Amino acid sequence: MQMSPPAHTPQSQPEGGSGGSVDSHVPVVEVRGLRKVYGQLIAVEDISFVTYRGEAFGFLGPNGAGKSTVVKILTGLVAPTAGAIQVLGQPLGHIETRRRIGYLPEFPTFHRWLKASDFLEFHSRLYGISGNRLAKRCREVLEMVGLSGREHQKLGTFSKGMLQRIGLAQALLNQPDLLILDELVSGLDPVGQRDMRELLLYFKSEGTSIFLNSHQLADVEAVCDRVAIINQGCILKVGTPPELFGEQPMLEVRVDAVSEKLLQQLNGIAVNIQRDKEDPNCLLIEVQQAEQAADIANIVHACGARLYTLAPRRRSLEQLFFHTIETLSQQK
Amino acid sequence: MGLLLITRFTIQEAFHRWLLFAMLLLNILLLGVFALLLNAAYTSVVANSARQVDPQLDLLRFSMAISILSVWAVYLLSGALTIVLTVGMTSGEIEAGTFAMIVSKPLRRMEIIIGKWLGYGVILSIYTAMLFFTFLGLIYWRTGYWPEQALPALGMIELSMLVLLALTTLGSAWFPTLVNGAIAIMLFIGAPLASFVQLISPTPSATTQNITTIINLIIPTDALWHGASYYLIPPYILTLAQQQGSSELFSTPFTSIQPLPPALLSWAILYCIVLPLIGTWRFQRRDL
Repeated sequence: MQMSPPAHTPQSQPEGGSGGSVDSHVPVVEVRGLRKVYGQLIAVEDISFVTYRGEAFGFLGPNGAGKSTVVKILTGLVAPTAGAIQVLGQPLGHIETRRRIGYLPEFPTFHRWLKASDFLEFHSRLYGISGNRLAKRCREVLEMVGLSGREHQKLGTFSKGMLQRIGLAQALLNQPDLLILDELVSGLDPVGQRDMRELLLYFKSEGTSIFLNSHQLADVEAVCDRVAIINQGCILKVGTPPELFGEQPMLEVRVDAVSEKLLQQLNGIAVNIQRDKEDPNCLLIEVQQAEQAADIANIVHACGARLYTLAPRRRSLEQLFFHTIETLSQQK
Repeated sequence: MGLLLITRFTIQEAFHRWLLFAMLLLNILLLGVFALLLNAAYTSVVANSARQVDPQLDLLRFSMAISILSVWAVYLLSGALTIVLTVGMTSGEIEAGTFAMIVSKPLRRMEIIIGKWLGYGVILSIYTAMLFFTFLGLIYWRTGYWPEQALPALGMIELSMLVLLALTTLGSAWFPTLVNGAIAIMLFIGAPLASFVQLISPTPSATTQNITTIINLIIPTDALWHGASYYLIPPYILTLAQQQGSSELFSTPFTSIQPLPPALLSWAILYCIVLPLIGTWRFQRRDL
């Protein structure tokens, strides 16, 4: 199974959220002062943002941050407690606007007795697609998500990854102007994840606006033009991936023994050196450029130490959050 | 358009559930057993009636009684299937998460609820009518008896099923499936309570009458059954019994010698319309 964009399109797309032009004069999703309260629980505190035509906008945050609530509000599943929201230039709940939106929920669940073709036919008809266009479109989306030949298979026999793919297929049926995806790659194997990202980049290059919810850094980094970091119902920061994730390269160096001489020599080229709390022979070295790894290897050898590990290390999402929160506190 | 799509989808889904097939299979078995019992009982009654003063009256009494009991079974089976099949019509989809991809499509939430209501209404109406005519057909085949007012009786049973459907439609939009099921079963089984109390009190007091009225307003299924039973008693038998002063023989917890009051009939029809509309109103405001 391999997802494939239509044949006339390039198979590979440049990474890093490029590949489409963003029209910053045409807002697609406008949210002002959004708040959602469930009883005593504040799911969304106060959120405002705007996404633009052709833009892939990512919502990045841990579980329970309020990402899915925002998506559910945008798709009409949940009513906001307060706030002004416009999607594709229309207020929430505008029926005709929904014809231009494709949506894949976080954990899509299905009527498992349906065959794949029946499922897509039903959703096509809900979009108002009928006649020859219906059959053609169903074939196209099945091919796009790598499920050609599975038309007559019941959804109850599909694997989790296949269900994710058919869920995406129904979101593509209407050739949406806005594609809303909640946790893009859950349930997919690494190949499926790569295929899904490539497919999204293709749609982005075709001018489709994308709203992507995720707690995977790699997803948003690969696809999104801008990203909002959300935590506890508030947006902490909005920016391009390089602005948010661009940081000094960090190298993990593990040796047989860390001597004073070695530390002194490394201090000469490093921006910062931290010692791993759990492993005293492991150093985390911030450098100006990743290419300085060769210099570090030379220094280790020159100091007579044995080099066991020399690898780049990236901040985890959790570390990124703490870093963002700390930075914001310092700024205040 | 969206409404009819949901109706069609609901009918398709019902036929893909084993429940409907299991019920149909059990009904066939039940009807088979009923045919055997009917045959045996009728043979016995014919043999005994030969020794009676008026054997024709004896056979008529038997045929009438078995018709009433059969239609009562139709009322119970139809009610049970209505509850079991529709108790999760909205709540089940919400709990399973299957609505997320449907509700976000370009259709009104009202179309989803009314579409489902219509789909289940069609299935259950056909089921009830089939069962009704099969039971009475078997009785006609063996005894030659056919209730003169079978169609009004069927109308009452169908309306009773629609009342339950309206109740589960509302409950399913408001409560979790289990709670909705408990409410529907309690009301359906509890509805005849007033009839039993009236049976054991020779002269029902105003309080008893008021409580009966309240129960019938909350859940008019039992009143509709009594309305159906009235149409199953041949009019000349009722006239004869009234002339002989023995009409109270037909006034039991299962039967009635009075037609359903027009006000209660109107209430039942209103009930079938208003409850799904309240369910729709609730569903439109519900977070999914």
